[in-house]
Amino acid sequence: MTPSVSGPAPSGALSPFAAALDALARQRGVVGALVVSEHDGIVVDANVHTGVRAPTVAALAASLYRKARLSADAAGLGHASYVELVASHGRLCMAGRDDTVLVLIAEPHAASGLLRVAMLQALQAVP
Amino acid sequence: MPLSSDIRRWSDALAADPSSRVFLPLGEALRRGGQLDLALKVATRGLQRHPYDADAHDLIARVWSDRGDVERARDEWEAALRCSTDHVGALKGIGFLCFVQGRVAEAEQFLERAARADASDEAIGAALARVKQLRPMASADVDGSDVSHPMPSARPATARPDPRHLFADLVSSGDQVALMLDADGLVLAGAYFSADGRDVAAEVGAALTGVSDEARRAMRHLQLGEWTTITVETDAAVVALAPAEDDAVTLVAAARTVPHGLVRRTLTRVGERASKWLAESDRVGS
Repeated sequence: MTPSVSGPAPSGALSPFAAALDALARQRGVVGALVVSEHDGIVVDANVHTGVRAPTVAALAASLYRKARLSADAAGLGHASYVELVASHGRLCMAGRDDTVLVLIAEPHAASGLLRVAMLQALQAVP
Repeated sequence: MPLSSDIRRWSDALAADPSSRVFLPLGEALRRGGQLDLALKVATRGLQRHPYDADAHDLIARVWSDRGDVERARDEWEAALRCSTDHVGALKGIGFLCFVQGRVAEAEQFLERAARADASDEAIGAALARVKQLRPMASADVDGSDVSHPMPSARPATARPDPRHLFADLVSSGDQVALMLDADGLVLAGAYFSADGRDVAAEVGAALTGVSDEARRAMRHLQLGEWTTITVETDAAVVALAPAEDDAVTLVAAARTVPHGLVRRTLTRVGERASKWLAESDRVGS
C-alpha cells in the first residue's frame, strides 16, 4: 500500500480536519483526501499518498467545484453541494460548504456510491 | 425516495398476502431503482389478481415506457382508461407519448383531460403549457386533426424529427430532461422546460457548458485521462454531463428524487442516441 503523506498542518498539531480526512483516505481506491479553500484553491489540510501533488489537485479541484457551483446557480438549479468527475484513469469527488471544499482523488475502480456517502458524512463532521 | 428497507417491507407484505395491492408501491420502487424486469414481474403478477386495477395497468405502462417500448406502454395506458376513464397517470402517459411522437394536438387533449381530473398536479399544468407553446410551431393543420402528419407535400421526404424531441422517449418518466450542446454551449438537440413551461435549454446549456471546459483542463494537469462523466448535485437537481463527438456535450438533469443510477443510465442512452443523430446529420449534410 502506498504510504500516506499528511500536510500542511504543522507536525504535532492535530488539525480539526484530520479525523475526517483519515476516514476518507481509508476508503478503498482513494489516493488522496484534501480540505481546500474554494476561494483561492489552497490546501488547508491533506492526507494523500506519495506522488499525489496536493497543491495541484487542490487548485484544480477548487476551480472545478467553483465553476460547477456558479454554473448550477446561473442555470437556476440551486446550490451545488456535490460534484464528481469521472475520467478514464481516476475520479475526483468534491463536496462543499461555505468556502470549504472536501476533495477526494481516487482510482477509477473506486465505488462512487460509497465515496459519495463518505464525503457527505465527512462534510457534516468538518468544523 | 423509497429505501431498500421499504422494498423489503413491501416484499414481505406481498409474500404474506399475495392479494394485497402493495405490489403497486413495490413495483414503482423497483422501476425507479432501474430494476425494470423485476418491476414488470411484480406488476404483472399483481395485475393477474387485480385485472381491472387501473393503477396496475399504469405501472406496467411506465415500465414499458422506461424500456422504450411505446406501443406496449400505450396499450397498457389505454387499458387503464378502460378501467377508469379519468385515470390521471394514464392520461398523462398517453399525452406524453403523443408529445414524443409529435402529435401535439392529441397530446394537448389528453393533458387537458388530465388537468381536469387533477387540477392540483403542477406537472400536468407545466406539461400542458409546454404543449400549448409548441402547438403553433407544430401546427400545419387548421381542422384540429393530428398535426404531426401534414399533407405529404408539406414535408419533404428527407425531413427529420424535430431535434427538440430527440431524447423525449428516453426521459419518459417526466422528471428528467436531456440536452445535447455543441462546443460553444449552443443547444443541438433536446429541450429543457421550466416549471412554467418555458424552454430554458439555451440558458441552462450556456451556463453549464463551462464545466466541461474546466474538467478538460483539470484532467490535462492531473493526468487522469479523458473525462467521461461529470455529476453535479444541487438543492433542486442532479445534473450529469458526458462528452460527445466534435466536442459536444450531452446533459441529463433530473429531480433529486430520481435515483442516481437511473440518471447515469439515461445519460448513457442519451449519449448513444446523440452519437447516432450526429452521424446521421453528417451523412445527410455531406
